[in-house]
Amino acid sequence: MKRLILLVVVLTLTLAIVGCASSTDHLAAIKDAGKLVVGTSADYPPFEYVDEVGNTTGFDVELMNEIGKRMGVTVEWTDMPFDSLIAAVQEGKIDMTIACMNYDEERDKTVDFSDAYYTSEDALVVLEGFTGDLTDPMNMANYTVGAQSGTTQDGWITDNLVTPGLLPEDKFMRYERVDQVALDLQAGRIDVMMSDYVPAQAIVDQFGGMKVVYHGVLSTGPLNIVIPDGDKNLQAELNRIIKELQAEGFIDDLAVKYFSE
Amino acid sequence: MDVARFLQYIALGTVYTVGVTLIALPSGLILGTLFALLNVYSGKVVKWFTSLYSTMMRGIPPIVLLFILYFIVSGNINLSPFWAGSISLGIVSSAYQMEIIRGAILSVSGGQMMAARAIGMSKSQAIRNVIFPQTLRLAIPPWSNEAAIVIKDSSLVYALGVPEILRRAQLISASTQQPFLAYAAAAAIYFILVFVTNRLLDALERRLRIPANP
Repeated sequence: MKRLILLVVVLTLTLAIVGCASSTDHLAAIKDAGKLVVGTSADYPPFEYVDEVGNTTGFDVELMNEIGKRMGVTVEWTDMPFDSLIAAVQEGKIDMTIACMNYDEERDKTVDFSDAYYTSEDALVVLEGFTGDLTDPMNMANYTVGAQSGTTQDGWITDNLVTPGLLPEDKFMRYERVDQVALDLQAGRIDVMMSDYVPAQAIVDQFGGMKVVYHGVLSTGPLNIVIPDGDKNLQAELNRIIKELQAEGFIDDLAVKYFSE
Repeated sequence: MDVARFLQYIALGTVYTVGVTLIALPSGLILGTLFALLNVYSGKVVKWFTSLYSTMMRGIPPIVLLFILYFIVSGNINLSPFWAGSISLGIVSSAYQMEIIRGAILSVSGGQMMAARAIGMSKSQAIRNVIFPQTLRLAIPPWSNEAAIVIKDSSLVYALGVPEILRRAQLISASTQQPFLAYAAAAAIYFILVFVTNRLLDALERRLRIPANP
């Protein structure tokens, strides 16, 4: 899934300069205001994207709207690039972010997480005519690989292939958004694209001429909503609603709707 | 896919692009003019300080300044992405505009200041009535370059999540997988904005040109 790299530096700086932001009771503040400001990066269909009329929609968006409804507040969406989201939560620019993110240790240092609302997997995508062998993802070392920067896939490739020296740095391309990775795969500049499985499947369907050769949990796992550090009340409220939605089958229905599972 | 709808969505970003420019450019002009006057006409310390300001602001990439202002400086002030972006670009632009105005002041011949003083004007009267009106005229051509740069740099505020033209083009590119269409639309809008601005400023320059000045 998506992971922070560059912004960790910015965040550390931010923390150092501003000092720890006070972890006040956001839940009460949110309910008082009657609105919940949620950040996402609406360039990741089918989790979050812009529809024909310019509305932000997708699996995460519809889920969050329902959570807002159950909290008794309206959800106000703020779109920003993926890399900026965690900094924005930390600095209180937004109340929380839902953007197909999952727990990771590095992120946990600066923000907190809700319980998982969905489990995601990684996928390796290649062109139809690809004849190489990727049954073992470590074989990516033999190809030119692309991933979205700041994602957990980026982190996985860096930690498992680039840092140990298996994949030369110049054979790993990082892109700002996942559709750019797909375009370069189509153009033949990279051999393999690594991303979340569901968006990968959406890309394969839409682009054509590509296939998923591997899918499983490498860098990913449970998806969580990211909230300000140490905000226990908000966390408890979100967890209660997520549990409720899971019990009612609401989340499964959404998955069917958006991922056609 | 409804192409017209998507293009309309991108085009609506123009409101933000123009808004950011209309804040950044005039605030940069006011600040830049002030600093330019201070730099040319004041004492050593102020001169040194304004030069340092100009060197620093021109030496930092606008996007870095944007992140600093939004995520660090305004950490506890609730500055919206739109205002943080506009102000940052205004600060960056003020340094460039300071250099433009400073250059224009210095290009008015020194003899004019002496002549003005000789007929009994005070220094500030001479600046106000003789030097400065010429300065502004001389500054229009380089200033129209700066205006074009600010319009184009306004695309940087997308990094803070302001839904301006570039960010909208990115979102459409992601949801339709048609990057060419989305970015071509964005490019066309930027081009029109810059082209019209430059034409207007050219016309202004022709109107205000001092006949004796070639």
